[in-house]
Order: sequence, then C-alpha cells, then structure tokens
Amino acid sequence: MDTLTPYEVEEKVLDEIVGKYKGSPGVLLSTLEAVQEANPLKFLPQKTLLQVAKKLNVPATQVYSVATFYSFFNLKPQGKHTIVVCRGTACHTKGSRELLNSVGQILGFRYEFDETEPSYTTPDNEFTIRTVACFGQCAQAPVVAVDGVIHSNVNAPKLLKILKKVKSSSYAKNQSK
Amino acid sequence: MQVIIDNKPYEVQEGMTIEQACMQAGIRIPTLCNLKDVSSNASCGICVVEVKGAKSLLRSCITKVTDGMEITTNNARILRARKMNVELLLANHPLDCQTCERNQRCELQQITYEFGIDQRRLPRTRPKQLERDYSSLSLIRDPEKCILCGRCVAVCKEVQTVSAIDFAGRGQKSKISTFMDMGLGMVDCTNCGQCALVCPTGAIIEKSHVSQIWEAIHDPKKVVVVQTAPAIRVGIGEEMGMPMGSLVTGKMVAGLRRLGFSKVFDTNFTADLTIIEEGNELISRIQNNGTLPMITSCSPGWIKFIEHFFPKSLPHLSTCKSPQQMFGAIAKTYYAEQAGIDPRDMVVVSVMPCTAKKYEAKRPEMDGAFDYWKKKMKLTAEDRFFDVDYVLTTRELGRMFKEVGIDFKSLPTEDFDNPLGTSTGAAVIFGATGGVMEAALRTAYEILTGDTLKDVNLKAVRGMDGIREADININGTILKVAVAHTLKNARILLEQIENGTSPYAFIEVMSCPGGCLGGGGQPIPTNTEIRMKRAESIYEEDSHKFIRKSHENPEIKYLYDNFLKKPLGALSHDLLHTKYVERKM
Repeated sequence: MDTLTPYEVEEKVLDEIVGKYKGSPGVLLSTLEAVQEANPLKFLPQKTLLQVAKKLNVPATQVYSVATFYSFFNLKPQGKHTIVVCRGTACHTKGSRELLNSVGQILGFRYEFDETEPSYTTPDNEFTIRTVACFGQCAQAPVVAVDGVIHSNVNAPKLLKILKKVKSSSYAKNQSK
Repeated sequence: MQVIIDNKPYEVQEGMTIEQACMQAGIRIPTLCNLKDVSSNASCGICVVEVKGAKSLLRSCITKVTDGMEITTNNARILRARKMNVELLLANHPLDCQTCERNQRCELQQITYEFGIDQRRLPRTRPKQLERDYSSLSLIRDPEKCILCGRCVAVCKEVQTVSAIDFAGRGQKSKISTFMDMGLGMVDCTNCGQCALVCPTGAIIEKSHVSQIWEAIHDPKKVVVVQTAPAIRVGIGEEMGMPMGSLVTGKMVAGLRRLGFSKVFDTNFTADLTIIEEGNELISRIQNNGTLPMITSCSPGWIKFIEHFFPKSLPHLSTCKSPQQMFGAIAKTYYAEQAGIDPRDMVVVSVMPCTAKKYEAKRPEMDGAFDYWKKKMKLTAEDRFFDVDYVLTTRELGRMFKEVGIDFKSLPTEDFDNPLGTSTGAAVIFGATGGVMEAALRTAYEILTGDTLKDVNLKAVRGMDGIREADININGTILKVAVAHTLKNARILLEQIENGTSPYAFIEVMSCPGGCLGGGGQPIPTNTEIRMKRAESIYEEDSHKFIRKSHENPEIKYLYDNFLKKPLGALSHDLLHTKYVERKM
C-alpha cells in the first residue's frame, strides 16, 4: 500500500520552516511541530530528524530526546483519522478502558490494550488510536476525541455511531479514488 | 557569611552550595547524581537536607547557602526521605551485584549498604525489560542498571560536546538513549569512555577482553607480548589500593610478568618512534608548504570526533598512527623477525587508559604487519591478523592481577624487556596533556636548529588549562603551537581552523580531561585532584630518566639503521602511517 511508504518532508519546505523559526525561543519545538504538520502522515521520520538537527545545529540525540519526550510528536506514520481516548481518572471510573477496547471491535481489528504502547495505527493506515492522560473535560467523562473533535459522555452505542460515520466517509473516499 | 549546620556555626563563602558547606564542615552528604566538574542536575534526590523556614526538604547539591541559614543534615525526616529515594531507584534496578562489572565499586550498592536497606521493598514499575547495547567495540550499555542520574549525558554533552547519548522518552519510559535507539556503535560516539568513568553503577562499562587474553596466555602455541601505555604506571597503583597517582612502573612490569606474558614491552618505545615520525612530518610540512596546522593523532577518540564532526579538516591530522598501533605493527614485523616468531602466533595485548583504543585496534586498516608478511609468507585472507589483538583498560588489568592473587604492593620493581621496552622521558609524558607537544618540540627544536636544548622542560605547554599555547623560537622564526584537552576545547581550535583564523603551526589534542591519565579506562574515581596527582607522577618519571629526548633513544636509532632505514621512508609509510575517513551517523 503506497500510503505506508515513509514520506519525508521536502528539503525546500524544511528550509522554509527552519527559516521562519530560527532565532526564536523554543525554536526546536516549533520547528518539529511545523515539520510534523507538513508531513501528510503526520510524523517525524528519521531522515527528517537528522535534517532538522543539522539545520538548527543541534545534536541529533537532543532532537530525538525532545521528539520522544512530548507525546504530541509521532515517530511512526499516523492514520488518516486519529481517535484519542482519555484515560484520566474521571474517564477511567466512567469506563474508558472498555471504550478503548470497543474502538478496536468497532473498526474491525484485534486491539489488545497495552499500557506500554502510546499509540496503535491500523495496518491499512486509516486510523490511529491513542490515549491521553486527561483532556480537562472531566465533567463530561468519558471523553473521546475523533480528528480533533471532542465527544463527551461517550458510551458504546454513541461510540459506534461516531466511528461508523468516520469509517464510512473514509472508505467512501478510498473507493472514489 | 555564617551558617548553622547541625546546631554548630560555620564560616562559609557566598555562592557555595549547602553540600559544599557541609563538606567543609566535615559532613559528606550522600548523592548519586552530583559530580564535581561534571553534573549538577539534581536528579537523584538523595542529598536532601532540612533548612529552617523551608516547607520541603531541599536538595543540598543545588541550593546555595544564605547568611544565617540553619541547616539540619540528620533527623528522622531527612533519613527517611533519602532512604525512600534510594528504594525507588532499587525498584527497577537489577539485584545481581555478584555478576556485575561494578560489584564492590558501585555507588548505588555502597549507598544501599550505608542506608541499611536490606530488601527490595517496592515493586518494579518499568513495564519492559530494556536490552543491553553491545553494538560498540569499546563500551557496553545496560539501561536496566541505569538510574537516570544524567552524569553520562552531561559529560558527553558538556565536556566532550559529542552528545552521542541523551535522555529519551518520558516518565516510566525515560531512559538514556542514542539517536533513534540505534546503539552506541552506530552513532557518532567517539568511544572516549568518559561516560563509563562517571557512571555511578554498571550501566556503562568497557567491553572486556580479559577472557580472550587468558585464553591466549594459556595457549602454549601463542607468544603473548604486552605493551603498556605511559598513563598505566600512574593509574594501576590506585586500582590495587595504593594512594592516588602512585608511580608504580617497576611493580607493574613485575606484575605483568607474573600474569604470564612472554615479553613485557612499553608503548613508550613507540611513543619515541611517533615523535621521530611526527616530528619529521611537521618539519616536512613546514618546509614544503604542507597543510598547517598539523594536529596530533595519538588519541583515537579525537580521531573519530574529527572524522564525524570536522571531516573537512582531516588533512590537518598527522598521518602517524598512534603509539599503540605503531607498536603492534613493529612487534609483528621487526620484533617477530628478530626473535624468529611466526607473526600468526604472536598475540599483541596492550594495556591502555582508554576505551577508544579497543575500537582503534579493530579499525580495518590497522593490519600493516599482515600486509608486510602477506607476500613474504604467501598468506591468504584467512590468515589475516590485526597489529594489536586485544586491549585492556587499567581497570581490567587490575582485575587480572586480583584474579590470580598478586599482592601488588609487595611486588619487586622490574625492568621492561628489550628491545621494545627502551624509552625516554619524552615518551612517558605522552600520558599527560601537553606531553606529546613537549616531546615533539624537544626533538624538532634540535633537528631544526642543530643546537642542544638547554632546558628540556617546556613548562608553557604543561598544566590543566583547557587550551594552552606557546611560541617557540627556532633560529629566529616563531613557531606557534597549541595544546587542547577534552573534545570541547578541540572543537574551539578546529572552528578556528575552519574559519581561517588559526594562528598555529602545530596542535596537540587529547580527548580526555588531563590527557590519557584521565582516560576513560582509568580507575574510578578519576577527578581533578586525582588527575593532578597522576600528572605529577608522570613528570616525575620524566625528570628521572637519563635520556629525555626521543631521537636519542638508542633502540630507536637501531630500529631505523637496521629496519625502517629513515623517517617517513617507504616502510614507515606502510607500517607507521595511516589514513582517515569521513564518518556519518
């Protein structure tokens, strides 16, 4: 599948981004953020990290350190849609673990919940599922964000409805290609 | 400024940390992360003390004293907090001390004992077992033993400006990692080993060659010869329980003989040889408009550093191999021939204060002796051997002495074997920063001027300042030279070269603080005070030597007359000189 081949941001685009942030405080963070955004698979491939290190004159290890510290940065290709299940205390008590497992069931793949993995991307590169420590929306727990939109008071039927919509739009797009 | 420590008043200096003030008052505050001249990132939380008026306990390593501060270093709350912080570290640290390289020399083990912790009380929190990294030829990393103190990161970043390792991940998943977790052998690590020197546990250790060496020694078919670097004679004593910087040349030779080495030779012999080759190379570059400044090439960490970070400047490096490699090449050609030993049966072991030497010995081009014999003996690729087979650090040698029960302190003093054991004072100072420069100048001056040096002590290039420079007057022409130790200072001189502002003709670079005597293979601890003591011993040995200039070494003269013919000659080119490559990560 061509979507799985690692895609790197072009040198020209990198230079533009680096030029924009060079000299400003927190230049490494802003650069990495913009470079990841410029990548269609929303991730930072090894080559890109090395290029950023070289252009900013920062040790490559330090770039890697920053990229692995913040959960915002992805070192693996991300799916077209991102589903974030909140695993904060409030959401946990309201059953977010079951929701997380339901995501896999609904999307039709086997997903064993594993605390050690920060995210899981489906083999067809359509969906990335990740968890977050807290959205700050505890009053509406449990909370699930789909492509940046936060859905509150989510239960299994509601989740099914949301995901079905995303799934059908996603596959419809694929069919029309 | 006055402070109260445990109810007693003390006069302290402004700007001191509480830890320093306590030390001055005779109270050692325990710590696992703070290390003078290396790191002060306050990560371990073991050095906490109570300060009147402060709500929480304070980390004494980073808190500065203030006038009238009332400090308590010993009460139930403090001891409980310290103990808890150690217990938290032990939750994820393996309890397999007996089989650990740092057994009995581990700071975590020591503190666990001192705090009376007699069991692992807290459950493991790290979900995954972290794998060991064997990818480097010099070092082994075991992240399971790491307590994330950050000393290695600090020394690699701040002292060496290499940054081969850094923190990666967050929270429970935090670990020290290379770029993309690629393994130390795959990245721009210079193998200097300063990380191993500062690690409080066994998380970074040298890759040991001890068992291979025992095997060779016990093999009746093999002739195992050993060479010792100049810095071993001022380090191995410490490893054997003697005062810091003890000068133990004769005992070391006696001990090596008792281990079963056939011949005990001295890397100093080829240090003298290096001076002849390198001195002549410098003169030739000056007289023939060659690339200047010329930079020394003895320190393999430095070589890998410039190959990674300043490949454009590689033509500035002297093409001379390091003394270790010259020794291997000469031992397996000249000496093998003289002694009638099949070079395939000869095993060359070197004892080095250095972890990078393990890597250097395995650089693919370091097989000059094999090339030399290939035609003569009709050797095939299967016969291929390296000039130097195994490299021991000072620490590993100490372990071998202990394994066979050698009572080092009561050993007699013995002399090195000939011919590769004869050396001058100029060679021994290779062990200290500035030594190669001084030795080279003693020789170059006399060759260029034809005069005899009145005073061979060139004190301007000695000492512990990061970069030192001197002007040498040679027949009215001023030769500007510079000496740098640590890669951070080397970087400064290289940047000058690359931007065209370097005023020097000749530069000496050593990777480690203090030069080889502070190398990554030296006894732990190695700190500023200890480095100074070792340097004193190095210069003491030089001052007692009858011959103090490399070109006056009679065995070196004999070697040229009967084997090499002339400096920079064809055979020198094959055996004693090398080339460098640009390295990427």
